[in-house]
Amino acid sequence: MVMRLLLRRVLQAIPLLLGVIVMNFCLIQSVPGTLLDVMTAEQQVTDPALIERLRVTYGMDKPLWQQLLHYIDAVAHLDLGYSYRHNLPVFDVIMAHLPATLVLMLASLLVAVIVGVSAGVVAAVNVNTWRDTLVSIAAVVCFAAPSFWLGIMLIILFSVKLGWFPVGGMTTIGMDYGTGIASAWHASLDVLHHLTLPALTLGLFYAATYARVMRASMLEVARQDHVRTAQAKGLTRRAIITRHMVRNAMLPVVTLLGLQIGTVLGGSIVVEAVFSWPGIGGVLFDSVMSRNYPVVLGLLVLSSALVIVANIAVDLVYTRLDPPIRTHAS
Amino acid sequence: MRKFRGSSHSRSRRQFLYRSAGGALAATSAALAGTTGWLVSPTRAVAADASSAVTPRRGGTLVASWGGLEPQALFVPGGGGSSPFMTSTKILERLLKIDEKLAFQPVLATDVKASADFRTYTVALRKNVLWHDGKPFTADDVVYNVQEHWKPISAGVALKALKRVSAPDAHTVKLEFSTPVPEFFFKSILAGQYQVVVPKHLYAGKDIITNPLNNAPVGTGPWKYGQWVRGSYVSYTRNEQYWNVAQPYPDKLVVRWWGDPASRSAALETGELGVAFSNPVPARDIDRLVKTGKIAVDTRGYENAAWTVTVEFNQRRDHVKRREVRQAILHAIDRKFIIDTIYFGRGKPAVSPIFRTNALFFTDDVPKYPFDPAKANALLDAAGLPRKNGTRFSVNLVAAAWFEENAKLGQYLKQALQDVGITVKLDSLDRATSLKRIYSDYDYDIAISNFTAPLELVPVVTQLFTTDGIVKGAAFRNATGYSNPAMDALVDRLTVETDNAKRQKLAHDFARLAATEVPLVPLVEMESFTLSRTNVRNATTSANVQGDALADVWLAS
Repeated sequence: MVMRLLLRRVLQAIPLLLGVIVMNFCLIQSVPGTLLDVMTAEQQVTDPALIERLRVTYGMDKPLWQQLLHYIDAVAHLDLGYSYRHNLPVFDVIMAHLPATLVLMLASLLVAVIVGVSAGVVAAVNVNTWRDTLVSIAAVVCFAAPSFWLGIMLIILFSVKLGWFPVGGMTTIGMDYGTGIASAWHASLDVLHHLTLPALTLGLFYAATYARVMRASMLEVARQDHVRTAQAKGLTRRAIITRHMVRNAMLPVVTLLGLQIGTVLGGSIVVEAVFSWPGIGGVLFDSVMSRNYPVVLGLLVLSSALVIVANIAVDLVYTRLDPPIRTHAS
Repeated sequence: MRKFRGSSHSRSRRQFLYRSAGGALAATSAALAGTTGWLVSPTRAVAADASSAVTPRRGGTLVASWGGLEPQALFVPGGGGSSPFMTSTKILERLLKIDEKLAFQPVLATDVKASADFRTYTVALRKNVLWHDGKPFTADDVVYNVQEHWKPISAGVALKALKRVSAPDAHTVKLEFSTPVPEFFFKSILAGQYQVVVPKHLYAGKDIITNPLNNAPVGTGPWKYGQWVRGSYVSYTRNEQYWNVAQPYPDKLVVRWWGDPASRSAALETGELGVAFSNPVPARDIDRLVKTGKIAVDTRGYENAAWTVTVEFNQRRDHVKRREVRQAILHAIDRKFIIDTIYFGRGKPAVSPIFRTNALFFTDDVPKYPFDPAKANALLDAAGLPRKNGTRFSVNLVAAAWFEENAKLGQYLKQALQDVGITVKLDSLDRATSLKRIYSDYDYDIAISNFTAPLELVPVVTQLFTTDGIVKGAAFRNATGYSNPAMDALVDRLTVETDNAKRQKLAHDFARLAATEVPLVPLVEMESFTLSRTNVRNATTSANVQGDALADVWLAS
């Protein structure tokens, strides 16, 4: 049954990916300016002969439909093309930056889920008390404060004033981690040290959403029959909250989580810039600004694949959390 | 009255430069033969004596950054802008450099001699120089670069008159030209931003533009490529076989990028960042950082890469194609207000396309357009463009918003021009769109853009005004379509004049003509600055510091 679900989703993904490619290709081509404009401007190229040479090098001498067909053909062969701007295959460009973004996003989602869900539960079980108000205020502040501002405030406090955390980067440059298993441990600690502030900055933003959703969801679940039944059975308050309420209230949070994993690639641009985190956000931004469409398309293809995978995973989690959904799905 | 930074002192230096760069080469080099065998200005010698009292300390790691982002590749043939300029020049060297006193200094060339007719140049190369992979550097490398790198890619327009290049022996290169070539111009090419020397044995026979080595260059410089963590930093290790055995001083150099100016500021404060070039933080942050006592500001080192913000008038459009209308519009612009408000006081009103920082060619003796809205109104009335229903005519203003200041300037100009009855439709556009609108489609009436100019005017500055500078699709060239036989003739003479005094006079004529005709007008000479931790010494030793090899820099304990 799970296999059938998987198979159906994977088959659905192929036309979806094709649509993503065609649509994005057309969108990016309709934006004024080309990679050639940007690259020749940067290189201060004035020689018409060299401009023509670059046009041929970048494959811009061919008509658009040929470029598109060529690209689709390449993607079918798992080749995302070549980025002349980076002087590297697109796949290598993405792989050089993607792991850092994934680490950052997973860490911040973890922060978001733990902080957000706990805060939501606390607010819901203490509804209309000072605890509830405090959580709501904190949520509004974290949600409304721009990420770059929050990030810079954290840097000023924890890096400049207290000196606890580094100002940016992902690892300490030139640090010797030793050898063997100890080196992996030291490297992880070093990354964790650098990860803390950016993950908090981004995580608190998401946490605010989760707190609000979780609070509302908990209050709704609290009015349902099975909770009243559990109270009637004389279960402890603690058991009712953890076993009967939180589990059911988690559903909308999981939905949200699934959607947000999809925004992994673009969502962290600002935080990556503030903390000079070597992620994909900056590359995507630069690629859009310089009309470097092989990289933009490559990222979109990969991220749509990621969204599809994340959604399948969410469906699977649903079936665990709420068995009736399983029967609908199959 | 000419105004120079440093008045009479710098004028004598300038005259010296002219002697050294000029025809009296034999006499000067004979006088200095006993010292270095090169043309070193007296001020440089004095400065060297004064600083030699302190011995540079070896060791430490220097972290450098700049006010922009990571490069696309560490070395981009043809340039690629400021970012690869910074990362490549630590590894790849040029033949000459222009030092902070605006004098040429030897790097891979030890001597450059012109023939009597200035049609042949003989370049003596440094001996016993090794590429980082251990192969010797020879004249063949330079010949390869001239033929396959400089001429077709990075200096095509400048080397237009080049006829032949040859290597009489392993350490001599001879270049022959079809016209006389001024010595300062020729040396400027050799010291130019894009004329780095790449190894022939690793590049020959491959496409230089897509060579994978561009991401991990092999050169002759003081620093060897270490590691590039994309999105974060590139590290360099000391070249133990560098031809200048004492250099470089730190053990390690790291060029690191922060995407956000506020984080750059914080990194300077914590000491994670040692030196940062080319306006690394917003101007309003400078005073706060300097007050900490740990950070110093330096505005030297940008003479050969001065930036300006310009207004450009499209000669294909009604009204603005008339000189008297352009001059009237200039009277409506308050440059002091722009500098104080938009640039936080860090800039000077520009008077012509030749900047004050260019002590060699600058002249103040040009027509000027002081802020005077009444005069602007009167001139527009006289031009037969009276107000009807409050407006004289309307223009499309394209602001290339690659600098946030440009967008603000666009808003100011809209207001200022409306004050004299010109209706403005303002478009603030991103980089690629601006490039297309201004330089590919010529789709604007007035444009706000920028250019950066080296000390030598030909071809970078002159091409903004000459007919042969009109190249559709080529950015930062004559996009206005201005074409004037008198201007073309003047630039032609400037290109071949070999007498330095006459050349300077021609440059002054050029400045005056450009400031009279005003198809393209620099409004503000933008001030560039470097911030460094106070223990970083000798970070500014050339006229374009971002591309300095950082061989002289050292860290005090």
